[in-house]
Amino acid sequence: MTAYLLRRVPSAVAVLFGASVLIFLLLRAVPGDPASTLAGPDATPESIAAIRHQLGLDRSVPAQYLSWLHGLLTGDLGRSYIIGGQIGDLIARGLTNTLVLAGSSLLLAVAVSLAVSVSAVLWEWRWLNAIVAAANTVAVAVPAFVTGVLLVLFFAIAVPILPAGGIPPDGFAAHPDITVQYLLLPSVCLALPVSAALTRFLTEALRTELGKPYVLTARSLGISHREIVTRGALRNALPTMLTVLGIQSGSLLGGAVLVEATFAWPGIGQLIEQGINRRDYPVVQALLLFSVAVFVAIQLTTDIVHAYLDPRIRIGGTA
Amino acid sequence: MSSTPGAPIGRRSFLRNTGIAAFAILGTGALAACTSAVNQQRGGGDNAAPVRGGTLKYGVLLDLVPANILTNTGTTPYVVGLVFESLVRYPHDKLEPQPLLAEKWTLAPDGTSITLELREDVKFHSGRAFTSKDVEFSLRTYADAKWSAQLKSTATAITGFDTTDPHKIVLTFAHPLANIFDLLDTVPILDRESIDQLGTGEKLVGTGPFRFVQRIPNSQIIFERNPHYWVPERPYLDRVELTVIPDNQAQLNALKSGQLHYADGITYRDVENLGKTDGFRTFPFEGAELQVYVGVNVQDPALSDVRLRQAIAYAIDRERIVSEVFRGAGYAVNVPWPKGSPAFDAARNSRYARDVNKAKQLLAQLPKPPKIPLTYSSTVSTYEASAQIVQANLAEVGIEVELVPTDNATFIRQLIGAQFPGLWLTDHSWAQFVPSTLTVSAYPFNARKNASRYESPAYVAAADGAWKLKQGTGSEATQAYQALSDQLLEGLFLIEIGVRFPQGAQTKKLHGFNWTKRRESVLTEAFLA
Repeated sequence: MTAYLLRRVPSAVAVLFGASVLIFLLLRAVPGDPASTLAGPDATPESIAAIRHQLGLDRSVPAQYLSWLHGLLTGDLGRSYIIGGQIGDLIARGLTNTLVLAGSSLLLAVAVSLAVSVSAVLWEWRWLNAIVAAANTVAVAVPAFVTGVLLVLFFAIAVPILPAGGIPPDGFAAHPDITVQYLLLPSVCLALPVSAALTRFLTEALRTELGKPYVLTARSLGISHREIVTRGALRNALPTMLTVLGIQSGSLLGGAVLVEATFAWPGIGQLIEQGINRRDYPVVQALLLFSVAVFVAIQLTTDIVHAYLDPRIRIGGTA
Repeated sequence: MSSTPGAPIGRRSFLRNTGIAAFAILGTGALAACTSAVNQQRGGGDNAAPVRGGTLKYGVLLDLVPANILTNTGTTPYVVGLVFESLVRYPHDKLEPQPLLAEKWTLAPDGTSITLELREDVKFHSGRAFTSKDVEFSLRTYADAKWSAQLKSTATAITGFDTTDPHKIVLTFAHPLANIFDLLDTVPILDRESIDQLGTGEKLVGTGPFRFVQRIPNSQIIFERNPHYWVPERPYLDRVELTVIPDNQAQLNALKSGQLHYADGITYRDVENLGKTDGFRTFPFEGAELQVYVGVNVQDPALSDVRLRQAIAYAIDRERIVSEVFRGAGYAVNVPWPKGSPAFDAARNSRYARDVNKAKQLLAQLPKPPKIPLTYSSTVSTYEASAQIVQANLAEVGIEVELVPTDNATFIRQLIGAQFPGLWLTDHSWAQFVPSTLTVSAYPFNARKNASRYESPAYVAAADGAWKLKQGTGSEATQAYQALSDQLLEGLFLIEIGVRFPQGAQTKKLHGFNWTKRRESVLTEAFLA
C-alpha cells in the first residue's frame, strides 16, 4: 500500500503544480487587469503605473508566480487586491454561506421527494399522479432565477412574510428562527429542480420494487400496502437514489451561483463573479486552485480506497 | 384502520391526512416565525418629526473597494460621506463654498494662495484632535498617484503648506487655481495614524458623523453614531448598515419588502414605477449629474475627418435616449455642462441638434465610411440601450455601426490606454464642478493626453486658460468657459448625449437624506420615523 501511495501522490502533486501554472498564466492572458480596474475611468497612465508597482504587477511573471507559490506553500493565500481582506477569510466565509444554502436545499429536496414519491405510490390515484408529474415538469423546466423572482414577489412583497434576500444579520447560529426564515426562499428555489428529479427517480424505483416477487409474497401474507412500501420497497430503492443524489448535489452547487445573485446571498458564487469581473487575480487564482485541489483529493481518495479493496491495483496488475 | 395491499385509500382519509400534514407544516412555520424576520426589518410607524436612534439599512450594488477610497467610484461615495469630511462643501445648485471643517478662508488677490481657518472643536474618531497638519497630510496623500484621485493635478499644483498655527493653514499654489474650492470640497480629511489600514479596508478613521465598525467583504459594512461629533445632537441615527446587493431586481425586492430603507441600484424604469407607489419616495441627485457621451478615436482613419464626427453628432437622437433610457431623468446637451454650471449655454447646446439631412449632406462629401465599432461596458444596462439607439440613428443616415459589448475591466483598460478602435459610449462626471476641473482632471477630457488621442494646441490653451484663472466664477471665467466649449464643439472628440441624474429610492420612513455633488451620502440630519 505504501508503494502504491508513493506512486500515486507525486502524480497528484504534479497535477496541482501544472494547474497552478496554467491558472496563473490563464488569468494574465485575460484582457484587463487589476491596476486599471482599481484606477477607474478617469485615471492617468501615471496612476496605473503607481498602482501596478504597489501591487507588484510590474515584476516579471515568473517572479510573481514564485511569490504566489511561496505564499501557497507557507499557507498564506495573501490579500485580495480589490475586494480587500485576507483571501483565506473571504473563501471561508463564502464557502460557509454556500454550504449552508446548498445543505438546507438538499435536506428540503430529499424530504419533499421522499414524501411525494411515497404518497404517489401509496395512493395510486390518477389525478394525484398527474399533479405530481405536472409539478415535476414545471420544477425542472422553470429556471431557478424565474422561480426565485416569483417566490420573492409572492412571499416577500405581495404577502410579506419572509425576507426578500440576504443572510441573517447576526449570523446563522444567533437566532435559529430568523435563520430558517432567511433560508426558506432561496432553499426552496434551489431545491425545486433537485427534488423533482429525485421524486421522478424514486417514484419509478418504488414502482419497480412493487413489481418484484417478494412484494407478491408479502401481499399474500396479508402485509399492508403501506408497510410494503415504507418498510420493503423504500428500503430497497434508497441505495440507488443515493447515486442520483450525488449527481444532483453537483448541480445544486452550480445552481447556487444563480440563486445567490437573486437572493443577495454572499456565497462562493458571488465571490468568484466579483473576483473575475474585477480581475482580482489572487482571489480567482486561489479559488480555481482550490477547486482543482478538491477534485484531485477526491480522485486520490477514490483510488486509494479502490486500491485498498482490490490488491491487483496496488501491485500494478489489471483490475 | 389498516389497509390491504393494493386497496385504494378513501378520498376522505387522504384529505384528512393531507390536512394534518399541511397543518403540521404551517404550524412548524408559525413556530419558526416566533420572531418575524420581516417585522424585525420593518420597525415601527410613520412620523415626520426628528427621532433619535434606529438603524438605517442601506442597499448598495457594489462592495467597497478599499484601495479606491480617494476616487469617486462605486460605493466609495457612500462610505466617504458617512466617515469623512472635507474642508468646505458646495450646496447642490451653486459653486459657492460653505464652511465645514474650515470656518473661514481668504483667497490672495493674485489667486496664488489661500488661508484657511479651521474649526477647533473637531476630533478624529480615534479621539485625536484635528489640526492643520492633517490638512497637509490629506492633500499630499490625495496628490499621490497610487490613490488615483481624480483632482490629483490640482492637488499637485499646491506647492507650499504653512502649518505653523494648528488651526490655520496657508496653501501656496504654483499658479492661480480657479478650481481650488473643488479640491477643498472633494479631499476627505484623513487620519495619518491609520492610513495604511485605510487602503486595506481594516480601519476607516475620519471626523464624520459615523464611525466605521466592521466590514464583511462582499456582504456588509457597518457604522455607528459618532458620539463626539462636533455638530451638537447629531447624527440622529444610531447605526447605518450598508448591505451589498449586486442585483438590481434583488435590490428592488429588498426595498419593497421593507428589508432596506434606501436603495442605490434600482433601474430608471423601476424608479419611475416606484415613484408612483405608496410608501416610497424617489429623487434625482440634483447637483451630482453624470453625462452620457460617445467618445471618438480621432486617429481612426475614417473618424479623423471632423465632418464624419459632425455627421454623427447631428444624427444622434439625444431626446429619445433621455426619454427612453433614462425615463426623462435628464436632458440633452452638446457640451458637457449641466444647467447649474457657469459654463452652461443654451445656444451652444443646440449646435448639433438632431438634423438627419445635415448629417446626410456631410456624409455625401466623404467616401463611404467603413463599419465603425462602438464599444460599451456590458455591465450597465443603460449603456447597451443607449448604444442601440445610437446604432439605429447612425444607420438612418448611412453610417454602419457594429456594437461591441465589453466587460467592464477590459473597457476601463481600453479607455485608459486609449485603445478603442472607433467609437465608445459611457458616462463621465465632474462637469457639475468648476468647468476647468473636467478638462484637467477627467482623463477623457484631458487636454494633454486623452482617450480620443485628440491633440490641439488651441484646446490646451483654452483648458489651461480656464484652469489658471483667479476665480472659477464671474465674467472672466464665463468667457474662458465659452472658449473652452467652442473648442469641444469644434474638436468633437467627445460627442455629448445628455445629462442624467442618478436616482435614489427610499421608503417614506427615511427623512433628511442628503448628498454632496459627488453623490456622497450625508446622513447627519437623517432619521427614521
